[in-house]
Amino acid sequence: MTEFMLNGTPVSSASPDDTPLLWVLRDELDLKGTKFGCGIAQCGACTVHLDGTPTRACVLPVSAVAGRQVTTIEGLASDAGEALKAAWVSEQVPQCGYCQSGQLMTAAALLEANPSPSDDEIVNAMNGNLCRCMAYGRIKAAVKVAAGRGEGQA
Amino acid sequence: MSRLMNPDLSRRRFLAGAVGGSCIMGLGLALPGCSPRGAVESLAAARPDATFAPSLWYEIDGTGATHIFITKAEMGQHVGTALARIVAEELGAAWSQVRITHVDSHPKWGAMVTGGSWSVHTSFKALSQAGAAGRQLLQAAGAAHLGVPVEACTVAEGQVSAGGKSVSFGTLVSAGLPEAELSAEALDALPLKAPEARQLLGKSVAALDIPAKSAGEAVYGLDATLPNMVYAVPLLPPTRYGSVLTRLEDGTAGSVPGFLQTLRIDDPSETIQGWGLVIAESLPAAWKAAEKVNAEWTPGPTAAVDEAAILAEGTRLADDPGEGVRVVDHGEIDSVLAGATRTLSAHYRTASALHFTLEPQNALAHFDEAGHCHIHGGNQWQSLILPVLSKALGLGESDITLHQYALGGGYGRRLFGDQMIPAALAARALGRPVKLVLNRDQDSRFDCVRSPSVCRFDAALDAAGDVLGIDHGVAAGWPTLSMAPGFLAPGLNDSGRFDSFSVSGADHWYTLPAHRVRAINNPLAQKTFLPGWLRAVGPGWIGWGVESFMDELAQAQGVDPIDFRLARLDGAGTNGGDGPANEGGALRLRAVLETVRERSGWGRSLPKGSGLGVAVAHGQERGMPTWTACVAEVAVAGDAVSVKKLWQVIDVGTVIDPGGARAQAEGAMLWGLSLALHEGTAFEAGQVRDRNLDRYTPLRMKDVPELDIHFAESTAFPSGLGEPPLIAVAPAIGNAIFAATGKRVRDLPIRLS
Repeated sequence: MTEFMLNGTPVSSASPDDTPLLWVLRDELDLKGTKFGCGIAQCGACTVHLDGTPTRACVLPVSAVAGRQVTTIEGLASDAGEALKAAWVSEQVPQCGYCQSGQLMTAAALLEANPSPSDDEIVNAMNGNLCRCMAYGRIKAAVKVAAGRGEGQA
Repeated sequence: MSRLMNPDLSRRRFLAGAVGGSCIMGLGLALPGCSPRGAVESLAAARPDATFAPSLWYEIDGTGATHIFITKAEMGQHVGTALARIVAEELGAAWSQVRITHVDSHPKWGAMVTGGSWSVHTSFKALSQAGAAGRQLLQAAGAAHLGVPVEACTVAEGQVSAGGKSVSFGTLVSAGLPEAELSAEALDALPLKAPEARQLLGKSVAALDIPAKSAGEAVYGLDATLPNMVYAVPLLPPTRYGSVLTRLEDGTAGSVPGFLQTLRIDDPSETIQGWGLVIAESLPAAWKAAEKVNAEWTPGPTAAVDEAAILAEGTRLADDPGEGVRVVDHGEIDSVLAGATRTLSAHYRTASALHFTLEPQNALAHFDEAGHCHIHGGNQWQSLILPVLSKALGLGESDITLHQYALGGGYGRRLFGDQMIPAALAARALGRPVKLVLNRDQDSRFDCVRSPSVCRFDAALDAAGDVLGIDHGVAAGWPTLSMAPGFLAPGLNDSGRFDSFSVSGADHWYTLPAHRVRAINNPLAQKTFLPGWLRAVGPGWIGWGVESFMDELAQAQGVDPIDFRLARLDGAGTNGGDGPANEGGALRLRAVLETVRERSGWGRSLPKGSGLGVAVAHGQERGMPTWTACVAEVAVAGDAVSVKKLWQVIDVGTVIDPGGARAQAEGAMLWGLSLALHEGTAFEAGQVRDRNLDRYTPLRMKDVPELDIHFAESTAFPSGLGEPPLIAVAPAIGNAIFAATGKRVRDLPIRLS
């Protein structure tokens, strides 16, 4: 039994301690917004915030989040998160959309730590998130729009 | 292929009728005995109607909302938005009142396929006519309601208006529209809007699927659940074909909480061979148990095949001028080559490449109390997999329903729904819903790979280096041969049947005195793996050879590569186009090439180690060309190639949604770059070697160059965009590397070391 805070609410998981957090979120707690891509922490589709830090849920044992704060796309409600979600629509970012929860979570962590990142800082922060449709230009543009320093391109 | 999507248009009918306070309108193929009432009632009751195979239905309800049913898969192209715009344009609907619904595989929806960059091209005429037919119906009803002549009424924004008075679609539908039927001839006679009168087409729009995808709310196949379901993960055999599962025992899997059982899959369709499944109450439990079961196979006959062997076989076949189905053959190329002052020959090769959809293949299957099979998951070609499922399950196709979801990437992988078969067989065996999920390694092993390929070119040159003719052998595994052999096309002069998708692009628009194209199936590829349709399909790898070799010929003649191409894009004969879809022919390719020459500053001086390269493409098919010309600027330092900028000029005809069109071009061009420099794998011991992101490395954000994308202004018939902007990128890069270094690269992915 693992107890933790999920999107501001206390929850408990009955899954074995070594169960990756991703599957606890998706299949036990029924929050499907966090996605499964590679299973080896290299695509970023499963990115959640663990005490505010972007973290790959596919390789994180649920026991590691005991007593800690987990935020998923469903709970992304910070100012930066809201601005990013709006920018994702205004810039018409998603194509298939499957990676976008992870992209948004990574971008939100970036803007929460660095409200006005440079282009290089955006690329460095986002480079670990694979977009198989390769909507990279719009992802970058939308992060800039959300940070209040982009004109957008869509 | 587009002809297969529009069979026998003479039997088309438009039918409309009222059901339950809504007006339902459909366009499709009607057989004798089909009435508006029968068709509408069968739709409303979700019964298949043997007399009517619709290509489109939409419905206007009493609030005036127009619901458009989309049979195409949503996989990132915002296809529902584009198709709905076409209907709404001619209907005169208010865009804010348009809704889209992606439908299941019920027979009432007719044939279902999403691929080939076909969706807009093959739907445009029918959707426009369906909208116009509805407008005519509403206009007549509105005129009667307002007490004015029909000619006095205009239809726009969901209102019929005349002389300062107007009535909404909702009011007219609530009052009851009459039943209507229009013949094919009447449909063809309907007035369509002139391009300059359009309100929606050609204007950017917010795609209807994007808000959910920007909030983690879009529902993909992997997200589907059913009560009481169990999870299944496969135990994959060492080869795609012919391996026999000789041992399948639980081993120590019983120690894993949630483990239920192992299961052997025997597929009567023989699509799935040698699979075992591990069944558990959760995915992590199933994966953990899979490591503890004992499974052994007798490997299939291709267990030792590697990439080099496949390419060697392709080379052997391509080198033999007697081999191959003749696809293009004019000008006596054998004698032209024999009599040439000199010849130039080259091999161009491409390595295996993966779809790597970020959502791995999965399926959720269950049988209801009536024995009907329901399968939940994203799919691109329902009409292809349904007969296979029918054979695998021993059920009629109408006893199986595929429930559509958003696709976490398609790119051609989900044209085949083969993973549905073991899920369905397991669901029947267990009497419970089964959710089958492949992990990433398995998704790659089970991929229908883009086949390794070999192109052999032999050009005959005169004393001045001018090109007298080209022989081109094209060898690869053929997706269509394995998955849809009925679609193989006849070659010239009874030379056999060939996969048009695996030779398209070789039939280019350059005028040559002699030209022969030989389409060759590589049998070793064919039996080692299931060749797949990967984004841009044949042109995606054939264009690499054709456009790189064109540069070699320009070099041999000492002519600028753009001038060399322009001289042969003269629109002579059939290269002038032979129908409305390829109107203008090579002259349109010429125009985009001239435009990209200007935009890229072609001919300017660049630092040492940098260069510009050019390539053109005509999209997926001669019958529905999308004309593209690409210039790449690269900088080469040692073995490292850096692409600084890509320019592309695209003539797709009428652009439905400029923003969506640009998004498709952006993605496709970066796919072209990724396949040129970042992706690629190899068969080793009968399987692909690089199966996850630690070794298979698609392009990332830091690799994105500046993109300059320009669409030609055009009101020509719309073609397609999902794939064509990919094609010219790799050869443009290869040609730029030559310009920068003098080194000719002939293998994809490009490796200078």
